[in-house]
Amino acid sequence: MAVAAPEQRLARLERIWLERPGILGWLTTVDHKRIGLLYFWTTLVFFAAGGTEAMLMRTQLAQADEHVVGPETYDQLLTMHGVTMIFFFIIPMTTGAFGNYLVPLMIGARDMAFPRMNALSFWVFLGAGLFMYSSFLFHQAPDAGWFDYVPLGLKQYDGGLNIDFYALGLIFNSVASTLGAINLVVTIFKLRAPGMSWNRMPLFCFAMLAASLSLIFALPALTADLIFLELQRKLGFHFFDPAHGGSALLWQDLFWIFGHPEVYIIVLPAFGIATSIIPTFARHKMVAFPLVAMAELLVAFIGFGVWAHHMFATGIASTTLVFFAGASMIVVIPSTIQIYAWLMTVNIGTPSFKAPLLFIGGFILFFVVGGLSGIMFAAVPVDQATTDTYFVVAHFHFIIFGAAVFPLLGGIYYWFPKVTGRMYDERLAVISFILTFIGTAVTFFPMHIVGLLGMTRRVYTYDKGLGWDTYNLVETIGGFVIAAGLLLILFNIFWSYRRGEPAGRDPFHGGTLEWTTTSPPPTYNFPVVPTVSSAYPNWDEPDRQEDLRKLERGELVLDAGHETVVSSVNDARFDEVVEMPPESPWPILLAGALTIAFAFLLTSHWFVAGAFLVLTTLMLAGWHSQEPEEA
Amino acid sequence: MTLKRLELLQWYALFGGALAWASQHVAGYFVSTAACGSVGWHTETPQIALAVAAALAILAAEGAAIVVFRETSGLPTEAPPPYGRLRFFAQAAMLGNVLFLVITLLNGFGTVYHLPCAQS
Amino acid sequence: MTATAVRIARPNGWWGMALFVATEATLFGTLVGTWIYLRFENAHWPPPPLPNPPVLTPTLLTLALLTTSIFMQLAWRAAREWRRSRAWTLIAVAFAIQVFYLSWQLHDFVLAVHAFPPRASAFSSVYVTMLGIDHAHVLVGLLLSAWLLVRIATKITRYRLVALQAITFYWHAVNVITAVVLIVTVLPSV
Repeated sequence: MAVAAPEQRLARLERIWLERPGILGWLTTVDHKRIGLLYFWTTLVFFAAGGTEAMLMRTQLAQADEHVVGPETYDQLLTMHGVTMIFFFIIPMTTGAFGNYLVPLMIGARDMAFPRMNALSFWVFLGAGLFMYSSFLFHQAPDAGWFDYVPLGLKQYDGGLNIDFYALGLIFNSVASTLGAINLVVTIFKLRAPGMSWNRMPLFCFAMLAASLSLIFALPALTADLIFLELQRKLGFHFFDPAHGGSALLWQDLFWIFGHPEVYIIVLPAFGIATSIIPTFARHKMVAFPLVAMAELLVAFIGFGVWAHHMFATGIASTTLVFFAGASMIVVIPSTIQIYAWLMTVNIGTPSFKAPLLFIGGFILFFVVGGLSGIMFAAVPVDQATTDTYFVVAHFHFIIFGAAVFPLLGGIYYWFPKVTGRMYDERLAVISFILTFIGTAVTFFPMHIVGLLGMTRRVYTYDKGLGWDTYNLVETIGGFVIAAGLLLILFNIFWSYRRGEPAGRDPFHGGTLEWTTTSPPPTYNFPVVPTVSSAYPNWDEPDRQEDLRKLERGELVLDAGHETVVSSVNDARFDEVVEMPPESPWPILLAGALTIAFAFLLTSHWFVAGAFLVLTTLMLAGWHSQEPEEA
Repeated sequence: MTLKRLELLQWYALFGGALAWASQHVAGYFVSTAACGSVGWHTETPQIALAVAAALAILAAEGAAIVVFRETSGLPTEAPPPYGRLRFFAQAAMLGNVLFLVITLLNGFGTVYHLPCAQS
Repeated sequence: MTATAVRIARPNGWWGMALFVATEATLFGTLVGTWIYLRFENAHWPPPPLPNPPVLTPTLLTLALLTTSIFMQLAWRAAREWRRSRAWTLIAVAFAIQVFYLSWQLHDFVLAVHAFPPRASAFSSVYVTMLGIDHAHVLVGLLLSAWLLVRIATKITRYRLVALQAITFYWHAVNVITAVVLIVTVLPSV
């Protein structure tokens, strides 16, 4: 029997992996690349919303005694700014957009381990975001800060629906994050191309693994906290009031058991993007690869043990604080190891300072500044003097904006050619870097000073003559400069999508597997399951030649069905070929039912909410009624 | 040394120290809370015991990592599995266990040094 | 040769369930942690005039539930050897015990809510919440087992085998969690 020609095999793969055209195709897609793009654009909309909230706040604070917004509106803006940026922008952008799109490509798989659950994660995230933002329509957006301390968050002090939107919206969103995290972990564990043992897995995947495992173990603490809050608010339970044997600090402890790992979840994917960009543009493998991989996991793990450093000023016993001061000092070390590795790699390589590497350079600088102020907080007396001042606001914005968003922006440029098949405009990209870099420094650095001068956080205005005026004005101007830089990036993306030069398969000569396939990748990602014998497979020419020979021979092309390879967890030995589910309407339908259920929980219509939860369960049954065909 | 034994040592090296520190951290936190809450337990001895037990477990994990590292000497980072992977995790564990040991000692020393239940 | 002799690693579905169990176990960890945390905040636990939580009935019921792990594990072994009707019977036996367990516990839960009104104290709030969430997890397990009974009534496929493996793991986890919840909640009484 004649072996089918490669072109015939590729044509067959195209047909097998083709999804419905048009809007319906997007609504029922299970393709990780499409889901990644859905996440990307949706999170950008939330980024714009969070940015607008920020600019309204900054305009209000630009001068003393301003009246741009009143105090109640300001409280809603500051709360929603934090909630949006953390829960609806950065986490879904890094794990949902970058993680979903890139992880299967980097490990040589055809999709994520659970494609339909992947789609469900997105639609639930969208439902949760819409649920949360619908609160603005009623002028009852959450208004007690993004960490919503009790007793302020209790019904007697915040009687409207504001905090119920907060609690239910975040419980709902955590369903999406948990499902997404489980999917990433199983994908990384089981779907790596044969030969890609742990010591050959890209560092980006280690970062995603660390972030996903952290999400899995951190979110339940928040969920428990929010359940307690809603039970207390809606049904009169007692968890947080000392008069009935509860504890207000219980809220803080549980919140920060989630909240501190959360900030590492925010920054770890950014580390992953940096460790992808640096070897490519330094044209050298990452120095100390095993230590960098371990550092990513260590930051996540030790990060679970530092939570009470957010509570140093609450009056808890010094013997309790000790545990957290010690761990908070040591948790810096893995991050420092990474910084040294990155700098050494650039130093001993032959760097090409294109826009992605510039953003990483900015990231490293801002991360060091933010990290230095961070380690100062590990010293309890310093923390007690500066807590709740703008010094803290400066610290976390240097980390979240400087150290998490900058790599994202660099990553957008870096992978833009892969996703679209076009090159971005390098000159515009460099200008956008300069604008965002200057804007970030000008906006957030003065906050250190004004915080030490006594400006507390979450104030909606301040008196004249305190010496804060100029700093605030400068920060506001800086905010507009950041906005200009970000808008330029957006313009560059749109303009280059239409007019950019064709990028080809591998414009930057990157080391990881996504650069071995076409730009954009075909729906089936790779014509054959790639041959892997190092952590930088695209730099292994013999293996790439072997792939071509495999295609000729028809080996591991998997064109008999909608298939991908599953391997063993530790050493990525070939295990079996599994069939992947085709597109499905169940994820979006289920997410819709769940959104309605949460809406009725909000309004305390328990039976109707229960009915929609039952409907959700029935939909799950419908979903699982479709099984893969077996011989 | 057999592959099976190396595997056992590698997994203990990677997880043993981490779990020992995590246990000491969480248990020590609860013991200190018990001392200073309404129950008022006496806590110095339990805290020292926890720190010493954890430190010993972490030292053993570090030892295991060093053994695996030496048994796989000469292999490059991206060597084929299982020996390449064993070496990779041994290197990783050698770093991790040092950090866990330092935090454990800081924890233990700190709980003994401070005046019990002094408000911060 | 059994069906799983072909695989060298646990299937994806098992890993997905294992990670889901990890989140739920962590949730129960925070519930137990909350119990302990609040216990340290209160001189008396339970605070007067609340009675001590019941011991005997919950213990016996939990022991009964724990036996279902054995039945589910045996069902999984039988299914791996393609012994469909034996597997189905064992799942059904486990299911019957689990339904009996949950029915009795739900009846007692209603009584518990009256004896330990959540609006009275933090003790009652955390006691009722922890029990309620535990019972909810048993209910989810019943739905999963019911699904298995429907599917395996006709045929075992490799896919349904993975489902059985994953759901068996779920039951082991729920049983362990229930035992832990039992120990924590009866400790004040012993």
